[in-house]
Amino acid sequence: MRNTIQILGISFFMAMTLFSCKDHEDDYHSVLERIEVESKEYHGTSITSDQYITEINTIEITEGDHTFLIPERKSQIKSFSCLECHTKSLKELEDGRSGKKAHWDIKIVHANEQTMNCATCHNGNDMDNLKSLTNTAIDFNNSYNLCSQCHTKEFTDWKGGAHGKRIASWAPPRLSNTCVNCHDPHDPHFETRYPDRFNTEYENERK
Amino acid sequence: MSNNNKKWFSLNLNSKTRQDTNSCGCGSNSVGCNSHNEMLSEEKPKDGFEQVFDVQMDRRTAFKKLTASLLIGAGAVSTSCSVVAGDDSKEKAQIDWDEQFKGNYKLMTNEEKNATVERLVRSYQLRTGKNISMSSKNAEEDVLFGYAFNISKCQGYMDCVTACVEENNQDRKSQMQYIRIHEMKDGAGLNFNEADDNYYHEVPAEGHFYMGTQCFHCDNPPCVEVCPVQATWREEDGLVVIDYDWCVGCRYCMAACPYDGRRFNWSTPEVPEEEVNKDQHYLGNRMRKKGVMEKCTFCVQRSRAGENPACVEACPTGSRIFGNLLDPDSTIRWVLENKKVFRLKEDLGTEPKFWYFMD
Repeated sequence: MRNTIQILGISFFMAMTLFSCKDHEDDYHSVLERIEVESKEYHGTSITSDQYITEINTIEITEGDHTFLIPERKSQIKSFSCLECHTKSLKELEDGRSGKKAHWDIKIVHANEQTMNCATCHNGNDMDNLKSLTNTAIDFNNSYNLCSQCHTKEFTDWKGGAHGKRIASWAPPRLSNTCVNCHDPHDPHFETRYPDRFNTEYENERK
Repeated sequence: MSNNNKKWFSLNLNSKTRQDTNSCGCGSNSVGCNSHNEMLSEEKPKDGFEQVFDVQMDRRTAFKKLTASLLIGAGAVSTSCSVVAGDDSKEKAQIDWDEQFKGNYKLMTNEEKNATVERLVRSYQLRTGKNISMSSKNAEEDVLFGYAFNISKCQGYMDCVTACVEENNQDRKSQMQYIRIHEMKDGAGLNFNEADDNYYHEVPAEGHFYMGTQCFHCDNPPCVEVCPVQATWREEDGLVVIDYDWCVGCRYCMAACPYDGRRFNWSTPEVPEEEVNKDQHYLGNRMRKKGVMEKCTFCVQRSRAGENPACVEACPTGSRIFGNLLDPDSTIRWVLENKKVFRLKEDLGTEPKFWYFMD
């Protein structure tokens, strides 16, 4: 009987030593395992993005499971609201006799002419709003709803955070650029240009 | 600055903050009163003075160490006795003395960290007349930093490299850069031997994609293993950092890193005074000296304060994603869980916290 107790006792201590090793950080098999285990007890941190995003007007949006901030847009458009200039209907402007030439510099380089023209997104009868493919109004602040009609994959990635630049801080609350902060909607591709620097020392070293 | 737990003898030449010799009111340094007992009973790792002198060493090493210290000591004594030397140079000599005998940052208490940071700030002020701010902020709990890089979005503009150099006070003379952007041929795989990391033509070039490398802050970092003086280590929030004052410049870590993430200062780093980033961290972008290692720290001075690293901030394409791996709602976690991610040389078991992905 005494032997059994002794054996039990010894094996208990051995088991304890084995388990206590698990506390040591080196015992995670991989970093993914560490992330999985440690994030179960995630309580949030004291670090927030608040102090870094005060200078930007933001609006909060909720799309699917994701709620985050995007920069407010309307105050950034120089000629908004449209109705400040567009006092006459587009029909009257069409004949060219009014002599007003606005937006002459805008050329659409976005999809082809069969797919897109001005009226795909703009509504001549309601210029202060954008319009969806089915003619429902979309606010300029929420213009991502317009882009997401075609660019569904990018939209999913953007909501999750894989597409689109995160601004100022990695900490919550999240502030991400919306589509038009990086892409000109009339010409959305990125320009080619020369790199920002050239390392002449590397060049010398490798000669 | 708290002086009562210093582990080395202080000169106290002319410092503004006179030393309190006693931390208790009994007025004696001996273990006469009870409040001393508490201090003594705490077992502490060897640090500072003890770490240098309380070890067995051969005569040659001992002489080397003594000579170095004597030189500084002689300088300190000569300035302290000199009638000509001003208050400033006496203070400077005292700071140099204290810096010489301070311990490894990794083993310092928070008070000691603050003290060394204060000394470094004051020393910079005395030398240049300019003020800098330096932080010794520790890792936050529940934070593990991670990074993701979108190789289908990067256009090779290298704005990140410039931002990094400016943020981290890298040597302008040798044009040191932590980040390298590799221009790779489509369809040739991830072939670093044939990639070009120093191109100068309009980018993105036809038929190429771009891939950035820097320190990956491995969770199992080989560079830390090989350091003979433990001057580099992995912090609680996952950052692999270097104590530039403890580094002896052996470059073992440089050889051990499978990703070419580490850089060495072959000469004294030169940064024009007006370009010095004065928002610094002890483990980050403070000025380095000749003969020490340095590398990307995920901009510890920014990231620990909650800001994005400079490269993330500078990237015009949004290819760079940075965040807290322990926060289940963070964007970096979404990328890891929803995109097809990979890391470089995963088979080495280094567990880098830097993932690549494609659209």
